[in-house]
Amino acid sequence: MSAGNSKFKMKKAISVLSTSGLIHLASSEAWAMHISEGILPFNWAVLWFIIAVPFIAYGMKRLKELSKADISFKPLIGLLAAVVFVISLMPIPVPTAGTCSHPGGTAIPAILVGPSISVVITAVALLIQALFFAHGGLSTWGADIVSMGVVGAFAGAGIFKILRRLNVRLAISAFCAGLVSDWAIYMTTSVELAAGIKGDAPFLPLFTKILIAFVPTQLPLGIVEGAMTAGMVSLLFKRRADLLMKLGVIKPEHAGGTI
Amino acid sequence: MQLFSEHFKEEHPLTRVDARVKLIVVLSLLVMVLSYKGIVFPLLIAAASFFVCLWMKIPPRVMFLRISQPLFIAMVVLLLKFFFSGEEIMFSVNVLGMEIAGHRDGLIEGIRITGRVIGGVSLLIMLGFATPFIEFVAALSWLRIPRQFIEIMMFAYRYLFMFLDDATTIYSAQKNRLGYAGIRKGLTSFGVLTGSLVLRGFEQSQKTADAMIQRGYTGDMPLLKGEPVKAVDLAVATLVVIVGGAVWMI
Repeated sequence: MSAGNSKFKMKKAISVLSTSGLIHLASSEAWAMHISEGILPFNWAVLWFIIAVPFIAYGMKRLKELSKADISFKPLIGLLAAVVFVISLMPIPVPTAGTCSHPGGTAIPAILVGPSISVVITAVALLIQALFFAHGGLSTWGADIVSMGVVGAFAGAGIFKILRRLNVRLAISAFCAGLVSDWAIYMTTSVELAAGIKGDAPFLPLFTKILIAFVPTQLPLGIVEGAMTAGMVSLLFKRRADLLMKLGVIKPEHAGGTI
Repeated sequence: MQLFSEHFKEEHPLTRVDARVKLIVVLSLLVMVLSYKGIVFPLLIAAASFFVCLWMKIPPRVMFLRISQPLFIAMVVLLLKFFFSGEEIMFSVNVLGMEIAGHRDGLIEGIRITGRVIGGVSLLIMLGFATPFIEFVAALSWLRIPRQFIEIMMFAYRYLFMFLDDATTIYSAQKNRLGYAGIRKGLTSFGVLTGSLVLRGFEQSQKTADAMIQRGYTGDMPLLKGEPVKAVDLAVATLVVIVGGAVWMI
């Protein structure tokens, strides 16, 4: 029994090492967040797109309402989409993996303008990246929107709101939002990949292996994304607290206090 | 940055073809690539796209740069399928007393996925190089994509080059001042970089909105109205789709 257990553990350890090793062998740069064009079969590509559509539609409705009230809202969202685009292309060294990877960047707009509009921002950034960078894809656009836009934004914004309600400090709440958002994107991307490529094989073992394959980049990257989100909120708080108040991120009584 | 504009061929005959026609042809071929069960059709599409890009005088290095990211993901998927999926064992290696096996059926499925990736990405690369952004936006509008979505896309595209430049400048300045010497410093520097970009986004959006309002902006941007599709473009597109469909069926 005990010999069987140790053999099983050893097998598991080798499986972990070899799947993690794939990342190191394959490239010096790991791009883990976007699912590339062609990876998902047609039926899965359509399914993820159908799931994404109601979220985009609701985001567009919110955008319409808010831009009616403030004429400068659409330019702001457009520029935030450009910022998200740039952030999600920033190569960040991940020492544990010996590679560079890229953050999702969706927690930032989710905190600032809310998760529903953040879905629209992410969809725009993803479409431009797919068409002009071959980063993501047209057929995987729906899947990428669901992981980065929907799950990433709602997870990030949800954690931020909960922590702020519990009176956790602004920078720590933002750090946790970035971290959770990144890891939620990573989990969802793994689900999408495993479901799409499993063929006749069972889902769970492949899902676990994909999760393990991206551990060396995604776990530290989550911390980097948390630090980026916290840094962004801290800088805005120090230099333009009025903006955070206008967007409802902080209450007027918090301005001028500690972060 | 050069991936966007430097190699864009405005004078090439293909860029003069209606963007709607190009988009529909690419989407049709993409559906065929994704639903194909083998590897030949996606590779033929990839080869055709590659030659069209060469015809547009796109340097192979730029094409490789664009395809490298999807290829990386495809390679990971291929290895996952080869080693961890399938029944038919091709070989097995003893690693630390444990057997790691390569599977024939896993390999075939992995190659099939890699073929789909190469075919699909090649089509996108060709479309990206052959279509000016503004015409692409007009084609989206013709496809009934909501106007607000297109407007946000236009704002984003207009300013992303500026933010790319800003990010590069800030990053270089931080690096020159040892902002990335050590993990803690690096994390703080990334935070400041992100915050600076967001701050710049807010400030620029206000300036842009003010400038646009002075020029008569009332909340909606004018979009290009597409002219009727030329019969020649339509005929060539139909031919391409029919030939593609015939090869797909074979």
